[in-house]
Amino acid sequence: MTAAIPATSRTYDLSFARWVRENVKGGDKMNLCMQCGVCSGSCPIGSEMDNGPRKTFMMVRAGMKDEVLSSTTLWNCTSCYRCYVRCPRGIPVTSIIQGLAAVAAKEGYADKEKVSNYYFSKAFWWSARSFGKTDERLVTMKYFFSFGLVEGIKRALANLKIALGMVKAGRMHIGMPHSIRNKSQLKAIIAKAAELESKG
Amino acid sequence: MSEKMKVTYYPGCSSEATGRHLDESIRAVMPEVGVEMADIEDWNCCGASVGHIGGGPLPTLALNGRNLANAKKQGNEHVMTPCAACYLNTHGSNLTIRDDEAKREKVNEALKAGGMEAYEGDLKVHHAMEVLVNFVGMEKIAERATNKLKGLKVAGWVGCQTVRPFAETDDGGNYDTYEEPEFLDDITRACGAEAVPYEKKTNCCGGSVAVMKPEKTLHLMKLLLEEAEKAGADVISTPCPLCQTNLEMYQDAINAKYGTNFHIPVVFPSQLMAVAFGMDPQKDAALQRNTIRAEKLEKLAKK
Ligand code: SF4
Ligand code: SF4
Ligand code: SF4
Ligand code: SF4
Repeated sequence: MTAAIPATSRTYDLSFARWVRENVKGGDKMNLCMQCGVCSGSCPIGSEMDNGPRKTFMMVRAGMKDEVLSSTTLWNCTSCYRCYVRCPRGIPVTSIIQGLAAVAAKEGYADKEKVSNYYFSKAFWWSARSFGKTDERLVTMKYFFSFGLVEGIKRALANLKIALGMVKAGRMHIGMPHSIRNKSQLKAIIAKAAELESKG
Repeated sequence: MSEKMKVTYYPGCSSEATGRHLDESIRAVMPEVGVEMADIEDWNCCGASVGHIGGGPLPTLALNGRNLANAKKQGNEHVMTPCAACYLNTHGSNLTIRDDEAKREKVNEALKAGGMEAYEGDLKVHHAMEVLVNFVGMEKIAERATNKLKGLKVAGWVGCQTVRPFAETDDGGNYDTYEEPEFLDDITRACGAEAVPYEKKTNCCGGSVAVMKPEKTLHLMKLLLEEAEKAGADVISTPCPLCQTNLEMYQDAINAKYGTNFHIPVVFPSQLMAVAFGMDPQKDAALQRNTIRAEKLEKLAKK
């Protein structure tokens, strides 16, 4: 005798998983995941993540797009690659998490309260794009002040002692940012790459 | 290998700021063991570990493509960088350009928009530590180390990204393992110092998350300091510029939060080498740039 298949109120939306598989670097390997949990168990910063990589992959499969893209897992990954080298199925876990973070940023899921890292990334990119180099001073300040003027001053002062120590040791300079020579060339390259990326 | 090796050098942005002492000591010691370096012309930032979020994956790939295309023009097949994040980006991008035709075409279209020639991914990108292991060898370092660092106890903290994810792969030069790398202790010993047992060798300090939100990662750095102290280390040695800066600059914050009293110098293996090679403690070893001064190491330096 065969029992009837129970009716479920929830259907799986496979289109998100399919989209991730085709568009995120390493996403084509995600369906090899056997949910063993080695990745999440190895993660040094699991305490700051709501879901961790294992659960994230299950949620992708379950079509939970909003939950995945607004999760703290994407923003607190330090890219330590421990999950990546330990996954028994050879899944490039870190690359997939990074890829999902990029999608979340692009689609406006970066919630200011939860994902300060997003603003840091933006500040960082601004420096790389404008000067061709990362100026840690400007990136940090732009990042601090993305939280507003008062918060910016508060954070800058809290770090003053560290900054002065760095200046004294010659590891932070005073003056104009370092810059590459051919900035217009770099701008043209990045603009073209951004255009090609938006075309998909 | 006893012959000379020529590399095109990618210093990375930290070389001009918080990681200056890494850059200075690498430039000092490498030629001493037969590695000749010439900088990539007009190099730019690699995007670090956040470029993919701030700028997107393809623009990040194009940033690295520009560096590689410039290196290619310089005619040398080896590229070397001392920064873990630079290495991941440059090496990873190089492999992508080599192996992924669709991405290669897009990168080359972007390079063309900047008036640059196409790049096919045919250079070899190395981490400076891999060069020391695979091309120089410990014997040569030990031979050159005439001012042995007797009595100095060193905890070798490799950090995470220096060996992950490429160390155990053919493309990464297969120079060590992900979980229990030995090269850092080998360098310590070649310099005549003592490598104390240090289990947390490949622990992560929190990386860029530590820079953005230190309160999320202080506990990770506390573990690293605790173990070094327990092992009786005089200094912690690490090859990564961000590891060095993080672990040095957050000790005050850790002490304030946990009531501890850490004051452990964090140095680069290339600084140990410069001192062991009997080179100038300031110009070559750049010891004055450590905000927690490595006094015991300074005493061992030849004046
Ligand atoms: S370690 Fe690999 S197989 Fe295991 S849960 Fe994580 S991704 Fe899946
Ligand atoms: S790479 Fe990210 S997700 Fe993987 S273990 Fe490290 S921090 Fe956790
Ligand atoms: S990883 Fe850091 S130091 Fe290395 S180039 Fe990129 S931004 Fe600069
Ligand atoms: S700085 Fe931290 S996150 Fe980066 S390689 Fe070093 S240990 Fe890993």
